[in-house]
Amino acid sequence: MWQYKKKLEYPVNIKNPNPALAKVIITQFGGPDGELGAAMRYLSQRYTAPCNEVKAILSDIGTEELGHMEIVSAIVYQLTRNLSIKEIKEGGFDTYFVDHTTGLYPQAASGMPFSAATFQSTGDPITDLTEDLAAEQKARLTYDNILRLADDPDVRDPIKFLREREIVHFQRFGEP
Amino acid sequence: MDAEKSKLLKSVRMHGFAVIEAQLFLDSHPTCKEALEYFRKHQKEYEEAVAEYESKYAPITVSGVNSDDEWTWATKPWPWERSEN
Repeated sequence: MWQYKKKLEYPVNIKNPNPALAKVIITQFGGPDGELGAAMRYLSQRYTAPCNEVKAILSDIGTEELGHMEIVSAIVYQLTRNLSIKEIKEGGFDTYFVDHTTGLYPQAASGMPFSAATFQSTGDPITDLTEDLAAEQKARLTYDNILRLADDPDVRDPIKFLREREIVHFQRFGEP
Repeated sequence: MDAEKSKLLKSVRMHGFAVIEAQLFLDSHPTCKEALEYFRKHQKEYEEAVAEYESKYAPITVSGVNSDDEWTWATKPWPWERSEN
């Protein structure tokens, strides 16, 4: 079971709303290499893992990914606070707004809804762990691309933290 | 957020993060003495910082709720708000 801690793993404090950037960053919530998919991947794979240490790594990294989903969601939430209709239109946020207003919906930047088709749970530990290594690199690359697109230091700071965690997770998945 | 609350929350986050790092490392190095020592040190400091934060400000876990007058778990702000960071 899980118990919620009423704090973010890393702080998010964004002064300036930016709906265009929110529409990009939401991809790390529900996109193909996002945190929701990461959590679901590891937390699905762990049951048939071959030894207790691998069950531990999958459980603990899967749990941390839920915390990262919360950080990404907090970034999107704070970037879409108090928007005027003019800002929504000018930021290209109107196509999201029409379906979700400013509610958090797990989707890719392209608008494709979250799908479990983005990950596997094969029951074969070599296959699963190799997918997990690639998944951490894909998430790291997505954060690198977000850093190419984001100027605001309030946004870049938590994104850099999330990027570094992908590198640590990659390291841990390579050790079993 | 006032400076003292902010400083204490930073301490909770810092030791909490060190505990997560140690936890992941120990999953693949479960007999590493140095890592076990590191885990114990930060786990103790995390627990102390959480207890102080919860006694002065707001619960971080349900076990830290002060239930004397009201259900502070629900009435205190949630962590995705700017004001809580």
